[in-house]
Amino acid sequence: MLLNFHMLGWWRWALGAVCALVAAFLLLPILFIIALSFGDSRWLIFPPPGWTLKWYEELFSDPRWLDAAFTSFKVAAVVAVLSVILGFLASMALVRGTFRGRAFLRGFFLMPMVMPVVVLAIALYATFLWLGIAGTFVGFVLAHLVIALPFAIIAISGALEGFDKSIEDAAILCGASPWEARLRVTLPSIKHGLFSAAIFSFLISWDEVVLAIFMASPRLQTLPIKVWGTLRQDLSPVIAAASTLLIALTVALMVLAAFTRKGKKQ
Amino acid sequence: MAAIAARRGFGFALPALALLVAFFVMPVMWLLLRSVTEPGLGFQNYATLFGTATYAKVFLNTFMVAGIVTVITLLLAFPVAWALVILPPRWSMVLFAIVILSMWTNLLARTYAWMVLLQRTGLVNQILMGLGITDAPLELVNNLIGVTIGMVYIMLPFMILPIYGVIRQIDASVLQAASLCGATRWQALWRVLLPLCVPGIASGVLMVFVMALGYYVTPSLLGGTSHMMLAELIAQLVQSLVNWGLGGAAAFVLLVATLALYALQIRLVGLPKGAQ
Amino acid sequence: MTTPFLHINGIRKTFGDVVATDHVELKIAEGEFMTFLGPSGSGKSTTLYILAGFQEPTAGDILLRGKTLLKTPSHKRNIGMVFQRYTLFPHLSVGENVAFPLRVRRTPADEVQRRVKRALELARLQGFEDRMPANMSGGQQQRVALARALVYDPPVLLMDEPLSALDKKLREEIQHEIRRIHQETGVTILYVTHDQEEALRLSDRIAVFNKGRIEQVGTGPQLYNSPASHFVADFVGDSAFLTAEFTRASGGTADLRFADGTEVRGVPLHGADPKGRAELMLRPERIRLVPQPGAGPSLPVTIADITFLGNVTSILARTSWGEEVGIRLPFGHPMASGLAPGAQTQIEWDAASAHAFAARAH
Repeated sequence: MLLNFHMLGWWRWALGAVCALVAAFLLLPILFIIALSFGDSRWLIFPPPGWTLKWYEELFSDPRWLDAAFTSFKVAAVVAVLSVILGFLASMALVRGTFRGRAFLRGFFLMPMVMPVVVLAIALYATFLWLGIAGTFVGFVLAHLVIALPFAIIAISGALEGFDKSIEDAAILCGASPWEARLRVTLPSIKHGLFSAAIFSFLISWDEVVLAIFMASPRLQTLPIKVWGTLRQDLSPVIAAASTLLIALTVALMVLAAFTRKGKKQ
Repeated sequence: MAAIAARRGFGFALPALALLVAFFVMPVMWLLLRSVTEPGLGFQNYATLFGTATYAKVFLNTFMVAGIVTVITLLLAFPVAWALVILPPRWSMVLFAIVILSMWTNLLARTYAWMVLLQRTGLVNQILMGLGITDAPLELVNNLIGVTIGMVYIMLPFMILPIYGVIRQIDASVLQAASLCGATRWQALWRVLLPLCVPGIASGVLMVFVMALGYYVTPSLLGGTSHMMLAELIAQLVQSLVNWGLGGAAAFVLLVATLALYALQIRLVGLPKGAQ
Repeated sequence: MTTPFLHINGIRKTFGDVVATDHVELKIAEGEFMTFLGPSGSGKSTTLYILAGFQEPTAGDILLRGKTLLKTPSHKRNIGMVFQRYTLFPHLSVGENVAFPLRVRRTPADEVQRRVKRALELARLQGFEDRMPANMSGGQQQRVALARALVYDPPVLLMDEPLSALDKKLREEIQHEIRRIHQETGVTILYVTHDQEEALRLSDRIAVFNKGRIEQVGTGPQLYNSPASHFVADFVGDSAFLTAEFTRASGGTADLRFADGTEVRGVPLHGADPKGRAELMLRPERIRLVPQPGAGPSLPVTIADITFLGNVTSILARTSWGEEVGIRLPFGHPMASGLAPGAQTQIEWDAASAHAFAARAH
């Protein structure tokens, strides 16, 4: 009875009301920023007295915002590529390997996910200072790769588990060498997994702020760092514009990921 | 030959293993080492951490905030997870999309929204005053209220999804049976549905509590100096005071608390499944 | 002695302490359809995987035309294989799946086209070139797998329970296709199955596997009519076993005495040095029901149950010491008329149709 919506009686309405409130709580702040980014009040009055695009103009005419966005994009793209490659190899070991301690290894690979980010941030900051790569491109990539990798491994090993090893064996008996079979048969067959690994890794790097806060140098800033820095000074509507663009990108990537998942089912 | 076959495939793991050893295990180990070697060999950093009233208050505050956030999140998340399972497909898809969208929307963007909404002249105060609930604007940011609202907002999806995962697998006929046995709806909820949800609730509660313990961004933007949390303290010790010994010690305390709670979770409900 | 086409020479494979196959020895002629028949875990699939190169034997050798295959990696063995599960490449169309072995061999494009066309014709799949595997039934997928395995003219085709995932009707249809393809191409086929009916229908010869060893190799009629062991008798065809005592055993025949004192003489005997307890195997369709003992060996029984099964009537008879024997008669057979449970009668059989085995230790 409790698992049949139509049999709930008046509880339906109570449940529906709670859900509507929570959904509003989750959704409204996001819509609110989008609206503010087009409002012409510097003091963020809501509803805005008029509508404007000047915050976007300000955003796009400021080279520091553009540089930060470009840096973020480069870092995220490299992280996505490396995380898919390392994630694929690690998943091969976890799913196809026959060595002992695979469960332990999987647990180890997923550790960065459960680690408080701030602990990892200061630990990496110290190490990067010592190596002289704090605040450099390489530093950002390595730091983001560590936290993106678990998500890539989950996505790819999931896809690999759903892919029958016999298909790879069939390719080998057909005359393909083991690596040829992996490249021509296994990789294309798990491409939805590789693709969502790439998307999640990109988003994790693109949105990552804590690791970057500790490492950021005045020379090289990622977009979240630029937002963070501006936020601590004032609540400028330019941030609303930047946030809106970040949200748009997230939505686009999530829709893309949903489509690949749908493609997989067909 | 059997021994060789038994070890097949390990080589594939080496690149990822090398990355994590070099940029995860060793940096964390080094940090922990510094907590007992700087400024001198010994446990004086830990003594300072637990012996100073200011720091003790930070610990207490951190656990209190994490506890409050977890309880509120659970109360809001359970009905939503339940509804996700039983709502007509169209509505549950919309609700699901909202949960996922909110989870993946940029953290800073979401926190920024609450900073604006909760400020003295913000929309929330406007509405409260418009409804006549209060005459003067309330202080909603730079204090416990702001942190709680912001954190609950961030944590909701992490509580909803595991509970949803468990409810989805419950066979509806179990509850039909409960009803045929004469259970009222309240009895069915308390004696059948909720007990069956325990693994999901346990997993959600621990995940949210643990994440809240180490959260940095939201508390430092929405919270005030009077309610500092552990992650902010660690950041401050390292960034402003350049005290790596004490900062490392605080980080180690946070790490131990986190791992202990996860170990407890694995003991109670088994290994967590992938988030996706 | 001429070199056999394919020689499985004393293959032994152990996994830790577990012996998967033990001294498997088999010579297969070119163009032969050889089936490995046995229950799961009997070592038949392991032997096939060793042939495919997915597993290395602990001892022994595989010789193709007198040359060892073991030093050649799987992808260079040039062996075709159809797997138990559907193993079409999900991202490639039917045509591209069949072309795959030729593409990895860098075959010229026009040659690829020609051979793919021929292979698809052979599997009766004309017009399916552009279909994706996900949009095909299981039976169609296994036909494509067959075309893919044959497109490069391998000397040996391995088939690992390729029909086990299909329903009975489709299975019989594709069994028919496999026979036709075997006749048309003349390829040597090694076929693994646990289904005795499938084995009898398809094979030139059958190797019966049990506990990692080959119990008997022979044609279907050979296995059925003169099983070499209790296991083969039990696994190939239906049979009843009655316990008895050896009173004499020599020269390939034995005399037995049942618990009620009835004696039978000259039963064909298999296995070495039988003493003490014996088992007499009877095929249910070779047993007659007679009111009085006749010329052949016979035994008094009580009818326990009669079941109508369409074209046959199945009768369960019980001996005086409580063992049960199944008898199968064509529907409406005069011997079954007037029988009812509880009736006292005799079972009778031809001496040559029964077999005696030394009783297995329990």
